[in-house]
Amino acid sequence: MTTFTTFFLSRIIGRKVFDTHGKVVGIVKDLLVDPDSSNQSLGRLLVNGIKIKCKNQIVFYSFQYFHIEKIKGKIKVFCNQLVELSIDQVTSNLYLVDAVLDKQIVDLNGRKLVRVNDIRLVSLANGTFTVAVDIGVEGLLRRIGIVKPFKFILSLFGSKIPAKFILWEDIEAIDFSNLNIKLSKSYSKLQTLHPSDLADIIEDLGRKASAEVFSALDEEKAADVLEELETDAQVHILESLTIEKAADVLDKMPADEVADILDALEDDKAELLLNEMEKDTSQEVRELLDYPDNSVGSIMSTEVLSFNENKTIEEVLNELREKKPDTETLYNLFVTDENDLLIATFSLRDIVISSPEARISQIMKPSPIYLHDYQKIDEIAENISKYNMLAIPVVDSNEVLQGMVVIDDVIEDLINRRRMNK
Amino acid sequence: MFRNRKAFFRRFVLFLAILGPGIITGSVDNDAGGITTYSVAGAIYGYNLLWTLIPSFIVLVVIQEMNARMGIVTGKGLADLIRENAGVKVTFFIFIGLLVADIGNTTTEFAGVAGSMEVFGVSKYISVPIVGFLVWFLVVKGTYKIAERIFLLFSVSLLMYVVSALMGKPHWSEIGHSIVHPELKINTQSLAMIIGIIGTTIAPWMQFYMQSSVIEKGLKMKHYKYLLIDIFVGCVATVVVAFFIIVACASTLHESGILIKEAKDAALALKPLAGALASQVFAFGLFIASIFSATILPLATAFYVCEAFGFEAGIDKKWDEAKEFYVLYTGILVLAAAIILIPNAPLILISLWSQVINGMLLPVVLVCMILLVNNKKIMGKYINKPINNIIGWSAVVILIGLSMILLLLPWLSK
Repeated sequence: MTTFTTFFLSRIIGRKVFDTHGKVVGIVKDLLVDPDSSNQSLGRLLVNGIKIKCKNQIVFYSFQYFHIEKIKGKIKVFCNQLVELSIDQVTSNLYLVDAVLDKQIVDLNGRKLVRVNDIRLVSLANGTFTVAVDIGVEGLLRRIGIVKPFKFILSLFGSKIPAKFILWEDIEAIDFSNLNIKLSKSYSKLQTLHPSDLADIIEDLGRKASAEVFSALDEEKAADVLEELETDAQVHILESLTIEKAADVLDKMPADEVADILDALEDDKAELLLNEMEKDTSQEVRELLDYPDNSVGSIMSTEVLSFNENKTIEEVLNELREKKPDTETLYNLFVTDENDLLIATFSLRDIVISSPEARISQIMKPSPIYLHDYQKIDEIAENISKYNMLAIPVVDSNEVLQGMVVIDDVIEDLINRRRMNK
Repeated sequence: MFRNRKAFFRRFVLFLAILGPGIITGSVDNDAGGITTYSVAGAIYGYNLLWTLIPSFIVLVVIQEMNARMGIVTGKGLADLIRENAGVKVTFFIFIGLLVADIGNTTTEFAGVAGSMEVFGVSKYISVPIVGFLVWFLVVKGTYKIAERIFLLFSVSLLMYVVSALMGKPHWSEIGHSIVHPELKINTQSLAMIIGIIGTTIAPWMQFYMQSSVIEKGLKMKHYKYLLIDIFVGCVATVVVAFFIIVACASTLHESGILIKEAKDAALALKPLAGALASQVFAFGLFIASIFSATILPLATAFYVCEAFGFEAGIDKKWDEAKEFYVLYTGILVLAAAIILIPNAPLILISLWSQVINGMLLPVVLVCMILLVNNKKIMGKYINKPINNIIGWSAVVILIGLSMILLLLPWLSK
């Protein structure tokens, strides 16, 4: 064949399949695509199986011997030979009707969930491929079967139905909750999304799909996403994971975020998770959990870096390179004496503009503003805005440095409270 | 002892936190359309239609329980589930029906606003535009949650109908007798009334609303017990209020032979029979119920239609992000308010027929629901027990039967 045929999935579902003698073989029920074929074919997936209903029986055939032609504007399905698909392929393939059509998929460019109204495919000499998903009104009307009269009426007014397509390489199918088989899908395209976007998407998914997508993420990504989820969703996700896996993810998160999540879980469950987590992390979390709900201690971050005032900038830099701290931790640095008492603060800026030989004592800002761990949360915002700070150190009643409150946490707290009042 | 009390307190707090989906749904249920239907039923048929509330109650509880269970297990809205499992055509039919019925219902809510304010001497050309704008503003400006709570508080005023009914000195022995032995002629009018009562008590859009609020609250299987209590309380409240509205109108209007067409007429007619206070209480309840539903109904409708057809939706989205949603929402409100403002609009007809469309749409939604809730792929081990199915399917059969008879009766009686 030299020509190619493009067609919509909805146009061939329910069509009769003809063999070489022009006899009806059965009715098309679904197309199966190979989810791993995207590498060779520009992100498109190769159709390699077809689900057919003949004489009240469902059979799966290899698509290799099938071809699709457009005859006088009508789509027809022909087959030269009937070869049954191997069980292996039946269970490992992606079903277009069952798992994509009418389901929600992730639009990777728009970073949101969209609903699939139709699927556009192309038949080439080397096989049939998925091209794009139709998420527009035209797809809906086509499915209902009134697209032609609609187009005609609109053409009288010189306008068109706006078409909305997303190329196959820019989507990821995710909702397989209707299938009994479990696909070993990597959701590799999802890994490229920002954790916040991914969190929004997971929140919008149903119970099963959200748990599945989450458990397919690698631990680092999973930890970042979990941090961004709303409390309800966090609880649901943690409950859907095994204790070991959940503990592994929590280990990768900052202690204050873990404490917040565990606070929302039932006590027994939280205890199980704490026991499963690594010792140092769980110890920190336990300390945080002991703080009352509206105290500074309950929202502070315990990951802080503190130095002795006699160290040189050179030494500080070396230590930072070795520890590779998070951005937040890196920006706000503290000076403590041998008893861990807070005596001063300095910032990344101070380091950058000083010479390597300078000592911390020369650049630090003594008598810092700080909060006590049992102070009320309300007082943080006031202090932060009054002194134009990005973070405030937190000390206990003996002035020993415990952690810091970052402006991010304060904003989160403010937003939550505003939402409560709504 | 102390531990026990603490445990009880904790459980009570948990219940309060979960409280809502069933009770709010129940309150919205007794909207202007409901109050009108109940009043007219009471005025025309006296106590003879009270019995319909008993099967309505049973079906209401069973349906809402199914919705709650589906919401908990799947975390997906009913519109989502129908779209994903029944395909585009069925979805299209249901949601066109729902849209038409809900525009009719919203019109009825504004009729309620207009009518109740006229009892207090405010012209509808003033009350309807103001209320319409307030409702729109409230939702679009995102203070919807506060509004919902205030309305919930106000909806306690619906219990005022109990007072209103008692002021009319109902005959309790007669009520008891009519529930057991109703005297009813079967004709187009009485059948439409019965379907109307069922349709307004178990409005189809509520199934969608119920399931969404369960999801929004993030409820889990472990909350199921409390949710059941919530549903039960909500349904009891709905039916009790309906009961007393019918009784209030039956024991006064029906006995004096006064025929009414609107809920407003009921409020006005109550004045000489049960006193000015009873009349004003009736009107105030109508007003609150109308605004409450006029807020929730267009919003919910726009939301489900968008959910089913894959448009962006939600009041946390900006206008540009969710254009279809806002256009739909605003469109329903404007259309409904505009119909009311047309002089001599056939309000009673609109009201009655939107209830009848509800009654006819209900079996379709119910069939979808029962099929979904029995689908092992979707519900896993939480599929329906036989008793749910028996009640659900009987409701479907009876409703379809009633609708068919209603449609055929005009030809049969010729």
